[in-house]
Amino acid sequence: MIILYDYELSGNCYKVRLLLSMLNVSYEKKAIEFYPAAEHKTDAFLSINALGQLPVIQTGDLTINDSHAILVYLARQYDKSDTWFPISDPVRLAQVTQWMCFADSLTSSASSARLVNGFFYDLDGEACRQEAHRLFRIFDEHLWFNEREDHLWVVPGKTPTIADLACFAYVVLSEEGGISRMDYPAIRRWTDRVKRLAGFVVMPGVFPAGPGPVHVLPANDTFPSAGTAEA
Amino acid sequence: MIDLEAARYRWHPVASSTDLVPRHVFQAQLLGREMALWRADDGNVNAWENRCLHRGVRLSIGINDGRELVCQYHGWRYANRTAGCTYIPAHPADAPARTICNNTYPAVEKHGLIWSGEKPDGQIPSLDVLDTTSITPLRGVTINVPLENIALPLIDHYSSGQRGASGDSVVHYGADTPDPFLLILHAHGHLHTSANAQAVDTPTPDIAFFFQPLDAARTAVRGVLCGVDEHNIGSAALIALLKQHSFMLCRARDIIESGHRDKPVPTPWTPYIPKVSDRHASMPPLTSAGQQAKLRVRLSAIENLSPSVKTFRFQALNTQIESAAPSVLPVAQPGAHIDIHLPNGLVRQYSLINGPGQTDHYAIAVKRLDDSTGGSHALHDSLKVGDVLATSVPRNNFTLRRDAEHTHLIAGGIGLTPLLSMARALDHSNLPFTLHHFIATETDAINRAELENMSAAVHWHVGQDVQQTQDTLSALLDAPTEHHHVYICGPGAMLGFTRETAATRGWADESIHFEYFKNPDVVDDSSEFNVELARSGLSLQVPAGKSLLSVLREHNVGVQSSCEQGACGTCRVEVLEGEPDHQDVYLSDTEKAQGNCLMSCVSRARSKRLVLDL
Repeated sequence: MIILYDYELSGNCYKVRLLLSMLNVSYEKKAIEFYPAAEHKTDAFLSINALGQLPVIQTGDLTINDSHAILVYLARQYDKSDTWFPISDPVRLAQVTQWMCFADSLTSSASSARLVNGFFYDLDGEACRQEAHRLFRIFDEHLWFNEREDHLWVVPGKTPTIADLACFAYVVLSEEGGISRMDYPAIRRWTDRVKRLAGFVVMPGVFPAGPGPVHVLPANDTFPSAGTAEA
Repeated sequence: MIDLEAARYRWHPVASSTDLVPRHVFQAQLLGREMALWRADDGNVNAWENRCLHRGVRLSIGINDGRELVCQYHGWRYANRTAGCTYIPAHPADAPARTICNNTYPAVEKHGLIWSGEKPDGQIPSLDVLDTTSITPLRGVTINVPLENIALPLIDHYSSGQRGASGDSVVHYGADTPDPFLLILHAHGHLHTSANAQAVDTPTPDIAFFFQPLDAARTAVRGVLCGVDEHNIGSAALIALLKQHSFMLCRARDIIESGHRDKPVPTPWTPYIPKVSDRHASMPPLTSAGQQAKLRVRLSAIENLSPSVKTFRFQALNTQIESAAPSVLPVAQPGAHIDIHLPNGLVRQYSLINGPGQTDHYAIAVKRLDDSTGGSHALHDSLKVGDVLATSVPRNNFTLRRDAEHTHLIAGGIGLTPLLSMARALDHSNLPFTLHHFIATETDAINRAELENMSAAVHWHVGQDVQQTQDTLSALLDAPTEHHHVYICGPGAMLGFTRETAATRGWADESIHFEYFKNPDVVDDSSEFNVELARSGLSLQVPAGKSLLSVLREHNVGVQSSCEQGACGTCRVEVLEGEPDHQDVYLSDTEKAQGNCLMSCVSRARSKRLVLDL
């Protein structure tokens, strides 16, 4: 059984919960109170992860920290379709890695702004927001052109990858840091698509998208008018 | 500064057409006002105030179910087109008040963009000077600078900057700014660019840039390329062209923003958001008595469903495409009916059969009855497409709960009509239900193909005699189940039997919902009694042979009514004292026993005196 050291409000823990759920892997949560108790800085937790960061998973003798490292491990270990982390395709693998690094820069901007607003961290919130908007502009343009080529996900291809989940968490929580996504329509459509993946779960501040197709452009699947239905 | 007041009366682009993908809610902004834009499955584009009028939550985080928009907070459902509330989960047994209706704005698709405005009264900008045989919208780019500071630097940027990737050719643009919201660039020259490492010639179309004033400090630039034959140039070249322009615009944006960095922040525009939309802001007149005929509709289609059943479809008068206030029909929910005022002077009630989101018309299905008292004959024989009729607004005394674990719909003959609308709603939301339709012959199975396509089990019981029908109904109601709800509509005898059987088998009264076509009982109006009206301070005598409703009406006491025979529930009045003699078929036995309301059209008094809350 996998043990996930988890904080419900953490976006990095959310990435791991998402993939565990989408891969249908059962696990046990151990709640670590990040705020206000700062349990991740206690001796007990530092003996598990010297960095004092969440999430961490343990399975048997193995301990893995860093949300992205955990995503890689889970994808390789449990993804029978071999699509979430495409190691056999050098181009896509490089792209996945590139967007995972991009997700890290979202952690130091969008997530930091949320730490200022919601957890009273002493950081420059305005600078974090400005940087997040700069990144969102780039991300939105990337996703907009992916849509033009019928690519639904962060990395072009038929299936989502762990890069989608890595980017998703702090994008979808950005408004809690005062970062509106109104100017990023392609990002907003992509978040709908992630929410419609099988096994998607919510967390506080993340709302479901409801049932729907994952089209990228308006389709002609109009419903019959009362007239034609009755004819 | 732009003229804010004048801008309220213009059409502005608010999104690209391709932004509104199925089952998505787009978050837009115009003149400081946020809008939720969503495309229903029928293609209709809705532009609404981005604010649920219940608790003010943004509708742009809500759920577009294809026909209705569901608020994320308390699940209030708002209908496509009308923005009227159709369901409040906290009040599952009630039809929401008609005044619960979101603010809507007109929305039109043109030039590959969605256009809206607060009160637009002019035309959408025309691009007649350009080749508009094909229009290719560019990626919209937001610039965090007030609108009036954008056109000139953008012209500079485009006239100096558009160089091919290989750097060997340059396009020159001639600028044309007919108004502050529009910039037209005429291309001279030819752009040489490279896509996929292969040098290709891409066309250099003229460009129209529309400036969308998001708020006082931000502007969206929505460009369209004019005259690019997308099929001819191929998708790789098209994408290269779009990327080229996206790059140009993002660079222009960065330059414009950095040049504007030290400028003072303009005063924000704060839009006025009315709590109630204009058309619902005024109170209804004090004496709104009798059978109301508030709507004028045009009969737009008649179709045969079976040899004896026709559907009639009615549309609102004066629906104008580019009108600021397109006339919309008030929203209805499953189970609702309208009164139709027929040319022969009769007033008849018909259930709407519309599915969810089918809000551009009212549809009814009417069976031609041989023993008709004139209603079905008038509809079948004398009406023709184009006729204008008066109707009431929809009224719902047969509301559908959406919180049942299972819903059983039981229809006798043409009693299917309200249940058809319910089945359409339940099926669309994937809520579990079964439908039983009792019919005399196979030809009475209207809408069979549609019903067979639904996820639910649909059973047709054909040609059963009275005993067989009763046996089937008894079997259906054999075991009362908690959180199951039964909806029945059909002939009086069938309803009577069903209600009786359900009661003896132990079904709770509130899980059996019924609607009669008409009151099968003969009303006994031989009694005489006094009524006191607590609010009006009147004391009236109701003589034998006269209904309470008609006595109230003679004394100008307003009570709305519809069927006036104790079947529909519209003329319900609260009873404060005294014992009513009900005689209606609307109230359940429990409600009758409670004795705290009556149907003023048929109910009388067992006691000498009644005190009514009027």
